[in-house]
Amino acid sequence: MSFKPKILGIACNWCTYTGADLAGTTRLHYPQNLRVVRVMCSSRINPSFIFRAFQLGADGVLVGGCHPGDCHYNTGNLYARRRLAVTKKILEFAGLEPGRFRVEWISASEGNKFAEVVEEFTAQIKELGPQQKLKIDELREKA
Amino acid sequence: MTDFKQIENNLKKEAKRLLEAGEVTVVLAYGRGYDEKHSMPFAAKTSADVEKLVFNEYCNFNMARYLMRYPCGTKIAIAAKAADSRAIVQLIQEEKVRREDLIILGIPAYGMKNQKTDEVVDSKTTCGLYNPPLYNILLGEEVHGQPVVSPYEVLAEYEAMDKEARWAFWKKEFDKCIRCYACRKACPMCYCDPCFIDQSKPRWADKAPQSPGNMMYHLTRFHHLAGRCIDCGECSRACPVDIPLYLFHKKVAKECEEMFGQAAGMKLEDKPVLVDFRVEDSDKILE
Ligand code: SF4
Ligand code: SF4
Repeated sequence: MSFKPKILGIACNWCTYTGADLAGTTRLHYPQNLRVVRVMCSSRINPSFIFRAFQLGADGVLVGGCHPGDCHYNTGNLYARRRLAVTKKILEFAGLEPGRFRVEWISASEGNKFAEVVEEFTAQIKELGPQQKLKIDELREKA
Repeated sequence: MTDFKQIENNLKKEAKRLLEAGEVTVVLAYGRGYDEKHSMPFAAKTSADVEKLVFNEYCNFNMARYLMRYPCGTKIAIAAKAADSRAIVQLIQEEKVRREDLIILGIPAYGMKNQKTDEVVDSKTTCGLYNPPLYNILLGEEVHGQPVVSPYEVLAEYEAMDKEARWAFWKKEFDKCIRCYACRKACPMCYCDPCFIDQSKPRWADKAPQSPGNMMYHLTRFHHLAGRCIDCGECSRACPVDIPLYLFHKKVAKECEEMFGQAAGMKLEDKPVLVDFRVEDSDKILE
């Protein structure tokens, strides 16, 4: 059976989620491996969400927010940028493949970019194969 | 080597003076434990207590840990070695304590020893500073002429490992953890009540000392201490199963310093890096 990655997408309500909507309404095709959770702002994302997602079986995590300067709350994504950069370094030093976690700025008008990023990221995760390191044991046995 | 006896005498002298003059209500320093090697954190409140104060090369505790036990406004004198002083600076930045409530008795100390292993405590497991960056009264002579070794030097070996080996290393280490939370208890920066790991809604991780919960606890703790850990090394010294937590904390501190250009607890006017931002931060940090 070919490997179908499970990818968690966490998208901010104002830009990336709306961008995803646009990708949908313009009938763009992109891989269906992404499960999107909407948050009000990328700075709402607690780094533990990401650690936990990997533990609960995500093969990759994609975070989407407004472009710096475009945040609906002015500065949310600027805090998020720093915070998620640290998250990335921590995952990397722990030994997880760095390619499994990605942050992208996608605006509400960038439906195309959304589709492209998802396509690219999914291909990358397929290449990396199933994420086994952080996944909790109970899930690993079933897989 | 620092003259520990002299520091002890100065500590007693200053503590006595401050308490008798009523300048402070309590002096946070070290007291004798069941033997020389096992000193204890000690709060002296009267001039009679002052006689019980000690200072020797095994007094590693970071007394900044105990500052938050006292209500805001309590006048406190606190003995602080280099890292402890950095912890105080960091706590002031985070508005957990107020500068005007504190009299910092700075201790320049070279040649501290780990009470478990008798090894000298240096830049391998701590920030490697000998002189406190912030103090009111200095209890000994400043340490000069010691080689300045980057606290991040010890990381090279681990950064060079490939990720599989690093994963195997950390997995093995974290699997040892018995979740006694001594690391959290010893850390001056771990003051949240409740700690995320004790929350039940949401329940972030299993409470049992098993692999996934341990991983979650540690990764999140490293994250919560990012840009705040002042590299005193107390967490690792407190750990009963000798997990080298300091390595991970050092790595995160190094990355923060490189990305945001600021080390934790060095200047009063700084802001902790993760509650701050620059418009000109580069997206490169996310790569
Ligand atoms: S994490 Fe460890 S080294 Fe850092 S401040 Fe806390 S006790 Fe000290
Ligand atoms: S002190 Fe050591 S054993 Fe105890 S919780 Fe911390 S890492 Fe685990």
